[in-house]
Amino acid sequence: MSELRRDPIIGRWAIVADKEESWGPDNYDKEVHERKHKAICQFCPGREKQTPPEVDAIRPQGSAPNKPDWIARAVSNKFPALRIEGNLDKRADGIYDVSNGVGAHEVLIETPDHDRDLADLSVDEIVNVIRLAQSRSISLAKDRRFKYIMLFKNYGQSAGTSIEHAHSQIIALPLVPRYVLEELEGSLNYFKFRGRCIYCDIIAQEQQEQERIILDNEAFISFCPYVPRYPFECWILPKEHSSDFCYLSDHDRHQLALTLQDVLKRIKTTLKDPSYNFYLHVPPVNYKESQSYHWHIEIVPQLSRVAGFEWGTGFYIVRTEPGVAAETLRNYSPE
Amino acid sequence: MPEFRKDPVIGRWVIIATERARRPGTIIDPQRVDKKDSQECPFCHNQEPEIYTVPNKDPQASSPWSVKVTPSGTPLLKMSPQFKRRGHGLYDVINDYGVHEVVIETPDHIANMADLSEKQIAYVMNTYVYRFKELSQNKNFLYVIAYKNYGWAAGSRNIGHSRSQIIASSVNPLAVKEQMSRAKKYFDYHDRCLFCDLIRQEKNDRKRVVTESEHFIAITPFAPRFSFEIWILPKEHHCDFVHGVAGKELDLARILKDTLTRLKIGLADPSYNYVIQTAPFRSQERGARWPTIEEDYHWHIEVMPRLTRVAGFEKGSGFYICSIPPEHTAEFLREVELS
Repeated sequence: MSELRRDPIIGRWAIVADKEESWGPDNYDKEVHERKHKAICQFCPGREKQTPPEVDAIRPQGSAPNKPDWIARAVSNKFPALRIEGNLDKRADGIYDVSNGVGAHEVLIETPDHDRDLADLSVDEIVNVIRLAQSRSISLAKDRRFKYIMLFKNYGQSAGTSIEHAHSQIIALPLVPRYVLEELEGSLNYFKFRGRCIYCDIIAQEQQEQERIILDNEAFISFCPYVPRYPFECWILPKEHSSDFCYLSDHDRHQLALTLQDVLKRIKTTLKDPSYNFYLHVPPVNYKESQSYHWHIEIVPQLSRVAGFEWGTGFYIVRTEPGVAAETLRNYSPE
Repeated sequence: MPEFRKDPVIGRWVIIATERARRPGTIIDPQRVDKKDSQECPFCHNQEPEIYTVPNKDPQASSPWSVKVTPSGTPLLKMSPQFKRRGHGLYDVINDYGVHEVVIETPDHIANMADLSEKQIAYVMNTYVYRFKELSQNKNFLYVIAYKNYGWAAGSRNIGHSRSQIIASSVNPLAVKEQMSRAKKYFDYHDRCLFCDLIRQEKNDRKRVVTESEHFIAITPFAPRFSFEIWILPKEHHCDFVHGVAGKELDLARILKDTLTRLKIGLADPSYNYVIQTAPFRSQERGARWPTIEEDYHWHIEVMPRLTRVAGFEKGSGFYICSIPPEHTAEFLREVELS
């Protein structure tokens, strides 16, 4: 029997399939990723001049900007969704509201190696990607026009990218996105009501039930959320309450790289290399209610297409029960 | 300069990214999959029990029905004997109480609703009306929705047989609540319907109007989620589909066919979804809690071509990035030559 489940943070309902009737990885369409543009890839070393100038990079000592010996590299997006110059200039167009599309849009090139995705990088390489993401977030947050810094990744065509070379993106926004606002509001209400962080309570419940846990290490926990939007959706949260992604200790950064690598490898292997997205949910710049919000990563493999019902209702239909999804992901041990 | 635009109905912001603007018509769905032929089609050879049919009285007709409603072959909601709520730790759970039906829109193996006759599409609209009325009798249901998934990218299995789906549920979906509450706020403030104001402005501006019929207007919304998104709105105010469409079914079929044909010809037969957005069921008790709902809300149809994939930014933020301004897509669609 399938169920309607309600997310306790934002109140969104999902229709979740019964365990027995849950779809396994083979029930979903398989996607093949081809790497055929290496010869002309602008993200490959030696073609630094073809991207907009570097804004930041992880480089060995003595290496100069825009030279080929980089480890990870941040550049402005060549086709930005938003423009960095100017002010919002909020105005009305009859009953509608408009403002200028001010913001920053950057690309983080995760490795010089064209043939490997984030899941294939070593823990140390992923540590460098995280360092670069933190450094860009800190720097963009200093621009007083920006209220929110969003880090996200698209891997594969169904997840919205046609660029093969491993990369993630940062968008700095002059307003706080709706999904984040809903989470902030929901978790603040919960905090006012119970005096605890709702994410900490969710972690406690997941640890007690064990059913949906993918992995649980020194500093991080990963599980399939009880009320997902997508099949095989995975979350990664710091176990200790924290609303701050930008200033992790070296130890925790290493643990995060380990966790991310582990979860991505499990997805890649058990779900046969699907397209996926992930994004970070952090509080807005200068957020005051840090006790109530808990930063986290949401990873969504792209296995099925969002259909009319979801667009019309904001209800999600999930054909794989999260306990079943977690079991599939657990049953693989990275070598 | 790119723009942030706010949708007045949902309050959702979208980014109109003019810097990466693409010419209308150059976005073509990369993932079209070939359709199954009629031999393998489960809707040509449908053995599911009938819930409702529109009979075809023509003795020459190959099929005794024109439109047929059956239970979904892969239902996610079923009529469990009882409606049950329970808690699971922090979470709220309801059993799978609900209805999930398939509307087979034609006995013929035709894939796209754009290729059905106006009369046939009107039968489909009548079928929705009939089912909505029936389902509203069940007091446990708060909401019913009719929607269509056409093509792989829109979540369909690409069987190649025109159909849509109906779901009735015992909870009001979040998106519907948001629309309703914004429409109500607007009404509280202005004493006018938000949608009626929107239609007035669009008729005045003309730049986002795609096509118009006697009773309906099709526009590209000011802050769309998808390139070439289209809303079909009834010019006359009514909060729900069942009563609002009465007597205008054929005119609705006409503008729907016109709209879908423009998409098909102009954009090389893209995948698309449509959704009928209508007010929740209004029983006596609930009406009392929300006395102005009939004035606040305005039923309509949202048509969403699926030319690009939703990416991490959209999934994580709820923001949408639209690479062509709706003024351009409306102009493009207006100029499509219909045969």
